[in-house]
Amino acid sequence: MQENETQSSCHCKAKTRPKNLNLFTIRLPINALVSILHRATGCILFLVLPIILLLLQLALSSAVHFEMVVSILDSPFIKLMLLGLAWAFFHHFFAGVRHLAMDVHWMTTLMKARYTSKVVLVLGVLATLVLAVKLWA
Amino acid sequence: MITKLLTKRYPGMRAWLMQRLTALIMAVYSVILFIRILVLQPDSYEAFLGFFQPSWFRIANWLFWISLSIHAWLGIRDVFKDYVPNMQVRSILLKILVVLLWVYIAWASWMFLSKQAA
Repeated sequence: MQENETQSSCHCKAKTRPKNLNLFTIRLPINALVSILHRATGCILFLVLPIILLLLQLALSSAVHFEMVVSILDSPFIKLMLLGLAWAFFHHFFAGVRHLAMDVHWMTTLMKARYTSKVVLVLGVLATLVLAVKLWA
Repeated sequence: MITKLLTKRYPGMRAWLMQRLTALIMAVYSVILFIRILVLQPDSYEAFLGFFQPSWFRIANWLFWISLSIHAWLGIRDVFKDYVPNMQVRSILLKILVVLLWVYIAWASWMFLSKQAA
């Protein structure tokens, strides 16, 4: 490897070739934003599966443990995390319903797809806000 | 046409369909779960146990978890296919994923289906 690199000049040129990996210079179209958020929220939901199972297990096991889980979920920081998780679920849910709708050929033109993308983003935030009111009120 | 596409020759089509079927099952379950929480409002241990008592709901929970596992397998596998180009690393990650999902299935099955759990 070392020898190859020093011998060929092509390698040196390849090294100076510009790479555009600065994610902040890429402006995602709204459909792409909904799409990547669908993937990201899916990954987040997968990662919290063991926590959900553990909490459920604890809450079901005895009255004492149930109260423990309730008090854990009642702390302000955890509530905020819960809200973030809830948004992940809601976004994944609504974006998924949008995918299913498109699979049966509803709302497939570009303008309609952009419109439903906005609807998905708004519904996800709206559902989270409703839950926030429920949790804090 | 459709039945031809769903044979073993086109595994991608099967994956695609499974992803959608499991999504549908989970979507319906989620709506039922939300309505059930809103109606019953289980705020004590007894109420919470009662919430998980009916056998139809336990079976629904279990079906949801099986669907979730298949859905997560296909979804996370796609993520690995996209972002982990190294085949050795990818196959290790996929193996870890399979083990995790099976452990979760065993755990969830015990919780939702066994009598002593709830």
